[in-house]
Amino acid sequence: MVAGGVTWRDRLAVVIGLATLFIVWQAATMLFAVPDYILPRPLDIAWAIVERREQIWRALLFTLAETGAGFAIGALIGIGLAVCLVLIPPCEAVVMPLAVAINAVPSVAFVPLALIWFGLGMGSKIAMAVLAIAFIVLLNALSGLKKPEQGHIDLMRSFGAGRFGILWRLRLPAAMPSIVTGLRVGLGRSTIAVIVAEMLGAYDGIGQIVYQSTAQVDYLSVWAAVLTAMLGSLALYGCLVAIDRKLIWWR
Amino acid sequence: MDSSMATPSIAADHRPAHLQLINVWKRFGPPERQTVAVRNVDLAIQPGEFVTLIGPSGCGKSTLFNMIAGLIAPDDDGSILLSNKVQQDYGLLGKVAFMPQRDLLFPWRTVIDNATLPLEIEGVSRKAARARAEALFPEFGLEGFETHYPHQLSGGMRQRVALMRTFLFERDLVLLDEPFGALDALTRSMMQRWLLDVWAKHRRTVLFITHDIDEAIFLGDKVVVMTARPGTIKCAERINLPRPRAASVTTTGEFIDIKRRLLAVVEEESLKTFGGATLA
Repeated sequence: MVAGGVTWRDRLAVVIGLATLFIVWQAATMLFAVPDYILPRPLDIAWAIVERREQIWRALLFTLAETGAGFAIGALIGIGLAVCLVLIPPCEAVVMPLAVAINAVPSVAFVPLALIWFGLGMGSKIAMAVLAIAFIVLLNALSGLKKPEQGHIDLMRSFGAGRFGILWRLRLPAAMPSIVTGLRVGLGRSTIAVIVAEMLGAYDGIGQIVYQSTAQVDYLSVWAAVLTAMLGSLALYGCLVAIDRKLIWWR
Repeated sequence: MDSSMATPSIAADHRPAHLQLINVWKRFGPPERQTVAVRNVDLAIQPGEFVTLIGPSGCGKSTLFNMIAGLIAPDDDGSILLSNKVQQDYGLLGKVAFMPQRDLLFPWRTVIDNATLPLEIEGVSRKAARARAEALFPEFGLEGFETHYPHQLSGGMRQRVALMRTFLFERDLVLLDEPFGALDALTRSMMQRWLLDVWAKHRRTVLFITHDIDEAIFLGDKVVVMTARPGTIKCAERINLPRPRAASVTTTGEFIDIKRRLLAVVEEESLKTFGGATLA
């Protein structure tokens, strides 16, 4: 099969891109003697990460756990809700305006509420991640589930398939590309929601490091945390791409 | 005793029909702005018969087809009988092997998994379904393509996969809606002969829609002509050309006589559809 796999060339390109960025960055900050609080040098940041590795590693795991849990729960809610709406079409008129309204507000606006309801621990961050991803997955899954045209549906009916048969053998596979798009966008959104929520109140996590280090005027730690978060997101995204390949195997 | 004296075609009509349409109508839209798609259709098809249906485009062929497949309900005026049993609205779903114009293969399924789709829906185990499909691959000229995906196949092959899917849905009545319409002339004539071979072997009752008169005569035991919209049956002609039919049958005098007669009827109806717009 002609799968659009990631070749070694693609990977090399990413590495070269990142390396160039860091070299230019390092050179520029040294050349123009940019002060640390404006833009620290990459090597200093890397050293900061190594120095604070235990704290940063724990925070990263914390943040990733929150994002992962929220992502999984939110994705399930979004897909499940979309399936319900397709099986019981009258519900759509009730649920969709609500979903669109909630989705129209940036989800980080709900952070203070989440902190009040679910406390400063992981609960509030997971809730935020769920909120950030559930609706985008719902919208994408719904449009995907409705994609099959009447001809395909009629064919299934002529074979004697009922609603569930059509859902399982036609609608869900046809919706996979849309669902995957929803998951990708949702992953980014839920990472943002979790980190912002951590900044506004948490016991641990990358966002909390960023917040505390800023308060202590420790810009190197801020950068170390941000850079770690970047790498963490990249890793999450990589996992998702791998899962995508399994979900849309026929491309 | 009398029946033995009758001509073969009349005698055939005395057997109980496999499919019978009695005064079937279909109207669309609200009463004040109603369009009649199909009116007063009476049609009987004998078991094992190959009936071809021709008519001008937009004459309601596909509406009629969808009603026979059970996808849409006919109006209350008449009824559809399958093996002498009156069918409820949508009661024909799952009883007729229906193949629409386009192949409608699922891009995420391999050739063999597309073919076994109706068996899966019937609850046949995956292994048994595959075994039954595999037996048909040589006959359908698809050997070696079991694990290919539809986008890797040519139009003619995709159409054969769709036909195989229809055949694996083992129903005695098969509805084919212009299955070769999108194929080039050469592929089409090969597919026609191949279809007759398959039909001779499996002997299902076939109703075949086409807008190609040659195809209708070449394939059919009986050619049924529909009028322009609102469509009804204009006439039916029994085709007594000997079987098996070779491609050369289309150049015989008998074939051409039939074609001349049918062409006159079909042209007349096509002009009616056309006339209002361009010849007025």
